[in-house]
Amino acid sequence: MTYAYLFKYIIIGDTGVGKSCLLLQFTDKRFQPVHDLTIGVEFGARMVNIDGKQIKLQIWDTAGQESFRSITRSYYRGAAGALLVYDITRRETFNHLTSWLEDARQHSSSNMVIMLIGNKSDLESRRDVKREEGEAFAREHGLIFMETSAKTACNVEEAFINTAKEIYRKIQQGLFDVHNEANGIKIGPQQCISTSVGPSASQRSSSEIGSNSGCC
Amino acid sequence: MSDKDDIETPVITEASSILEDGNCELAPNPESAEQSAKPEVNSEPVVFTRKRPESRPSIDLETSEVLPVEASQAAGKETVSKDVPQTGWGYWGSWGKSLLSSASATVATVGQGISNVIEKAETSLGIPSPSEISTEVKHATGETNAKDNANSSPMTGPFGVFSTISTAVQTTGRSVISGGLDALEFIGKKTMDVIAEGDPGFKRTKGLMNRNSTLSQVLREAKEKEELWTSNEVTVETDKKTHYGLLFDEFQGLSHLEALEMLSRESEMKVKSILNSLSGEELETLKHELEQLKEAFSLAEFCEEEEEEKEGDEDFTKEVTELFSQLHVSSKPEKLARARNNAYEWMSTSLGKPLEEKEEGEKQLETEKTEQISKNSIEDIHAFAIRSLAELTACSIELFHKTAALVLHGQKQEVTALERSRALSQMTIVLCKELSSLSKEFTTCLTTAGVNEKADILNPLITAVFLEASNSASYIQDAFQLLLPVLEISLIENKTELPEA
Repeated sequence: MTYAYLFKYIIIGDTGVGKSCLLLQFTDKRFQPVHDLTIGVEFGARMVNIDGKQIKLQIWDTAGQESFRSITRSYYRGAAGALLVYDITRRETFNHLTSWLEDARQHSSSNMVIMLIGNKSDLESRRDVKREEGEAFAREHGLIFMETSAKTACNVEEAFINTAKEIYRKIQQGLFDVHNEANGIKIGPQQCISTSVGPSASQRSSSEIGSNSGCC
Repeated sequence: MSDKDDIETPVITEASSILEDGNCELAPNPESAEQSAKPEVNSEPVVFTRKRPESRPSIDLETSEVLPVEASQAAGKETVSKDVPQTGWGYWGSWGKSLLSSASATVATVGQGISNVIEKAETSLGIPSPSEISTEVKHATGETNAKDNANSSPMTGPFGVFSTISTAVQTTGRSVISGGLDALEFIGKKTMDVIAEGDPGFKRTKGLMNRNSTLSQVLREAKEKEELWTSNEVTVETDKKTHYGLLFDEFQGLSHLEALEMLSRESEMKVKSILNSLSGEELETLKHELEQLKEAFSLAEFCEEEEEEKEGDEDFTKEVTELFSQLHVSSKPEKLARARNNAYEWMSTSLGKPLEEKEEGEKQLETEKTEQISKNSIEDIHAFAIRSLAELTACSIELFHKTAALVLHGQKQEVTALERSRALSQMTIVLCKELSSLSKEFTTCLTTAGVNEKADILNPLITAVFLEASNSASYIQDAFQLLLPVLEISLIENKTELPEA
């Protein structure tokens, strides 16, 4: 029930790449092949455990349709993490990443942790974007990268949790001002600031965070 | 209304009538009302389990002190809005009125079954006059301030907005009291305490809405208080079930509200910058049209009181669906209708309360019914009532948010912004009416199920349901007001095809 931190996430990317499916898999552990188009934004929340700390993820799943773009931009504000999703079977969704990234960087805090996700990794036979391309894009733009499948749940958990780990690491390093809500982080109601923050404890290396587990 | 007379009711009468009940966890005089809610008095299972930190006035004291007591009914509100740095949300200044009038109407039109309960509640509660409240407040200021600080400081530090709000609370305490006077006339100071027990955000919300914090911040803070409390104490499941704020968040009401606020704020900025870029006749015409929109948005309040009179039982679902189709947005109010129907179904099936449209309810045998009734304790009913109110409110706010998104989405508009505003205004009324009649149903159930309960156990539950219902109504009305800038920008863009600011 209670949590040490609350992180706001946004999920962004072209329409049909599986944003809502990723969220549903993460919050409800189920897959729904047919989804209504998201209007504006939908929400999900889940508690995760990082370093023995309970962290509540509040996830804003935005509409991917181009026509909603100007609206969804308004929702970016105050996000601590972003999942930028493309579909590995549709190259154009990969090609649009730059514009999504620009949007995200422009409308949210500079510290926002961005996780690049190549979704639909279960559809290997229809793959249109190589994993290496995703990795290269991520490296170039300083993103974390993973390939996931919302259908098989492969790496879905990891994608959300690794993003949280990275945010948590930034908090530990003092990169995030947890007092400023514009950063998308809130301290849980029970927490006392003096004990929970400070560039101390965790020496988590960032290489560990970007690592892909073998299932995809 | 007879409220006027009620104000003058001396507090002393209340002391005696409560003592007659034999159970005095309601304090015998207003001064000790403060203490009454402290943890040591733990006789009540649901309502009296804890003491919430109450914020007390400090700064605004003088302002209100100057007011003549007689005028406080009206002036109290004015003071509030004068004190308040007016943000763009001018309308919020008046939210308290509509809330309270709906609260009054609700209580006043309670069904026959419970009118005696209410009467009893009112006589036993006693209604202190505004002057008494003022002196009492003054009285309490010193000691409670210290106490409150101690209570809230571990959590006020951590995040920015939170602490701002807390300070606002410290300083608005006074306005809280004067703003709440309408309610006090009605239900009495005692009930306010009781309510504060059941809804930590209640008082806070009232005062804060007039400040420049946003509605979702206020609600969030209330929810966090609840979270803090639930995490601090060994929590029985049932306790959690009755926390409106937590439930409201669980139904994603807070998130939708926050999202709606973001759209609203953005639209407001755009409207301002467009207005700044215009001049002369163009500006005047636009201003005139925006004025019309504003009028449509202020309608809700006036109509509400008239509408409250007729107790027509039109189909809620049909009405809302119809209004929604008038909006010409592709979102559908199914979720809302489902939430509402679930509430009625629960009442009809688990309480054996026959509803016209529910056949299963009628099929039940009389014996089964009584069995069912005894199975659901008044605590169960109370918990379900609070849950339903939270769910219905969350769904309503979700609908408003979706509407905002779709309006901004800028599909081809077959309807004007003004027409939409009217439909939305009507919708707000329908929703608030629904909340009010739902709460009436629930309290009737409570009265039926709790017929053998002591009044001091039953009454707080009933009052809590009414108050959460009127809180809900005011949240919906506030959310409705957030739509104004959205429709303004929609009007402007549709008309001028100006490039986005």
